[in-house]
Amino acid sequence: MRIQHSNMAATGWPECAKSLKGVILDLCGVLYDSGEGDGVAISGSAAAVKKLKESDLQLRFCTNETQATREKFVGKLQRLGFDISVSEVFPPAPAAIAVLKERGLRPHLLVHDGLLDEFDGVDKSNPNCVIIGDAAENFSYKNLNEAFTVLIGLEKPVLFSLGQGRYYKETDGLKLDVGVYMKALEYACDLKAEVIGKPSPTFFQSVLNDMGLQPHEVLMIGDDLVNDVGGAQRCGMKGVQVRTGKYRQIVSRDFSSC
Amino acid sequence: MVARADKRALKAVLIDLSGTLHIEDTAVPGAQEALKKLRKASVAVKFVTNTTKESKRSFKNKFAWQENEIFTSLSAARSLIEQKNHRPLLLVEDSALEDFTGIDTSEPNAVVIGLAPEDFNYQTLNKAFRMILDGAPLIAIHKARYYKRKDGLALGPGPFVTGLEYATDQKASVVGKPEQTFFIQALSDLGCSPSEAVMIGDDARDDVGGAQNAGMLGILVRSGKYREGDENKISPPPHLTCDSFPDAVEHILQHLL
Repeated sequence: MRIQHSNMAATGWPECAKSLKGVILDLCGVLYDSGEGDGVAISGSAAAVKKLKESDLQLRFCTNETQATREKFVGKLQRLGFDISVSEVFPPAPAAIAVLKERGLRPHLLVHDGLLDEFDGVDKSNPNCVIIGDAAENFSYKNLNEAFTVLIGLEKPVLFSLGQGRYYKETDGLKLDVGVYMKALEYACDLKAEVIGKPSPTFFQSVLNDMGLQPHEVLMIGDDLVNDVGGAQRCGMKGVQVRTGKYRQIVSRDFSSC
Repeated sequence: MVARADKRALKAVLIDLSGTLHIEDTAVPGAQEALKKLRKASVAVKFVTNTTKESKRSFKNKFAWQENEIFTSLSAARSLIEQKNHRPLLLVEDSALEDFTGIDTSEPNAVVIGLAPEDFNYQTLNKAFRMILDGAPLIAIHKARYYKRKDGLALGPGPFVTGLEYATDQKASVVGKPEQTFFIQALSDLGCSPSEAVMIGDDARDDVGGAQNAGMLGILVRSGKYREGDENKISPPPHLTCDSFPDAVEHILQHLL
């Protein structure tokens, strides 16, 4: 993993590293790129994770992965050579299920087929809310219309978005992420979605609680400036931006041609 | 009639089509008779529409309108494309493609989005997304949130345009209602200013709000996509909210001429 050194100089690196007790890693775009089959591990990442585990630092994985259940994608990462277990991983779906229970909500799901098993024990009859995840091909016009129809039929429409990312990188190029469809439904129904997952502070806090650490003792490493780095820093953690995954060098555009 | 101090001299009436004059293939009850009455009065009549589902020619066949009486968001889009010399990726219905005959669409360098449910699938939107990231401008024929089909409300192009704006951090150029330029362009060959014109439509924001922002009067009809309380969603509220197009015409004939 290449680390952006210029930002570290501004926040007092490497002195601040001495107060670090934990590291949170994003998965997609940091450890691996998704795509055909299991995807591809990013060179050097598995060895880096091993080094972290051998250190005194506590390690957790925080992801907005919603194309598969925890068990499935941890299995994939293990096959790619990573030392990682389910209890160390924090994706949005389990957090969403907890929210549903808390508020007595029954969801209409617009998610990837691979995530459905995660919602097995959840009552989906007579839905009074909509949950959208990174549904990829399931983001058909027909499916979106169904979700829209459920929402406008509710007196108090509630839309949960598992993450709010704009796009992610797969081996065959950049692809639209759940945030795009969240904005689409927000616009159609004139409502605001509730985001479960990065960069929601509640979500980061649940990981910190599990680690038993304060924000200033933890470093988050991610490829998404807004959802990983920005979200973590807003909670008081330090954020490191990697130039792999969805990271793009933004070139200034010639607006006169628009 | 005695002229009232607050009465504007009405010279033109702009009429929305889908939801106001007709719902899919069915004319709104009394619409054809009301239209005849309006034509006999001394006002110019123009039909304006964001409905990208049909091109100008197909409307002409349905209600016997003259070519120059219809102004669509498709005509507004074509003007913009020609002006800027774009080669568009046209995400519009097949029946609307007719309005873009003669435009070079090879190696597209612009994305044009209309109401095209078959194109709002994951692959096609990803293609449009990558083009915009690479510098292609995004042009929206309009940004309607939804429209009325026989089986209920269905998503319009607006949500997908909004999604792509978010994905690419770019703003779309919108050519249809409720943009001011759309209404000004529609009136341009009628020789009257917006203050001498009234708009009748079923969409509070796009028809009435847009027209009033351009300086016209707006009449909201409770047909088509209208939902209870829509008149409270715009400020200032509609000049009049009435049940349907025939009622709007009655009001114009009795109070605005």
